[in-house]
Amino acid sequence: MTCNDVERDLEAFVDRELAADSAAEIRAHLGTCASCRQRVAHREALGRLVRSAPYYEAPDRLRARVSGQVQRTRSARRVLTWAAAAVLVVSVGGAMSLVRSTAARGDAMVDDVVDGHVRSLMGEHLFDVRSTDQHTVKPWFLGKLDFSPPVVDLASIGFPLVGGRLDYMSGRPVAALVYQRQKHTINVFVSPATDAGTGVTNRTLRGFHVRHWVRDGMSFWAVSDLNDAELTQFARALQST
Amino acid sequence: MSSRVFEEVVLPHLDAAFNYARWLTKNDADAEDVVQDACVRAVRFFSSLRDDDARAWLFAIVRNAWYSRVSRRAGAAEPLPPDGTMHDPADSALDPEARLLQQHAVTRVRDAIEQLPADFREVLVLREIEGMSYKEIAAVVRAPIGTVMSRLARARDRLSAILKPAAMPMERVP
Repeated sequence: MTCNDVERDLEAFVDRELAADSAAEIRAHLGTCASCRQRVAHREALGRLVRSAPYYEAPDRLRARVSGQVQRTRSARRVLTWAAAAVLVVSVGGAMSLVRSTAARGDAMVDDVVDGHVRSLMGEHLFDVRSTDQHTVKPWFLGKLDFSPPVVDLASIGFPLVGGRLDYMSGRPVAALVYQRQKHTINVFVSPATDAGTGVTNRTLRGFHVRHWVRDGMSFWAVSDLNDAELTQFARALQST
Repeated sequence: MSSRVFEEVVLPHLDAAFNYARWLTKNDADAEDVVQDACVRAVRFFSSLRDDDARAWLFAIVRNAWYSRVSRRAGAAEPLPPDGTMHDPADSALDPEARLLQQHAVTRVRDAIEQLPADFREVLVLREIEGMSYKEIAAVVRAPIGTVMSRLARARDRLSAILKPAAMPMERVP
């Protein structure tokens, strides 16, 4: 590992896009090279500055305009779609209808998780208890659930706990823990596991990344629009606490 | 995906789409128009959304909508300056003086990013503010991952040159 190698992989390293072994090599080099250390620190400081830049939220009038437009466009197209569907039914004779794979059924939970996440962000119900203190959040669930979800703050590695709420997944009450990473919200749904689980499941659905794992008899579903690498880091940290 | 309607899949990413468009166009009115154009296209192409990354898919459409506007008015002057209605992330827990200082820093950073060429600006925004991976950014800007990485490197070099020296006091390494 030379300073040139660090130079070459600098962006991938600070963006956590480098393979684990290459990243470890760079970290080892940084331990002995002050100028590379400074170069990395400079990049990280720049990243913090950029992330302090404004996040522009869509104005309500735009949301309204888009919804209206979508509906108009759709009703115009529905006529065409029905015509196309009629042709299809005639030609296929319905033989292919309702073929759904078992994989699709297994995806139902992923679907629920993403729905739960979107609901929490679109509505006003992100928090029942708003606190960055795990010792406030954890007792809040007492008496509201028939299990006690593990609650840890991960602020020390940049994922502060910001609160929790009661939510429903597949017809049963679950604990939803809310974490924040810069402008991104991470929901973690916790409920008693119904199976042992096998490692960490990675899924991406409708633009949201989902991680699922089972630990100590609890099932965890983490969901966010945060990038894959950082959500992985978050899930790993949560699993090892 | 086909059992899902547009509103459920695409509208959750409307804020993100607007934020991206706002950084591309550098003003609110143009950003709104771009996002509206993009949503009209997105409805039309909705059945083509095969993979599950709706956000990157929508961003690619936003980018195209912006690009066709820019090329339509090619030769026109630079877009209008920001109208001051930005939602800055100043921390309301701070006292007024500290908030003012923070706002000042935020404005400085915003101005510096806006000075970058659009292709540098967008990779920076997608990576740092939207938190996208290289792979997702590559899908939005339709460039190889290596290109995304080298654009990011150049964007960061340019930005740190613009911000130097006042805004970069934390260079000292313990």
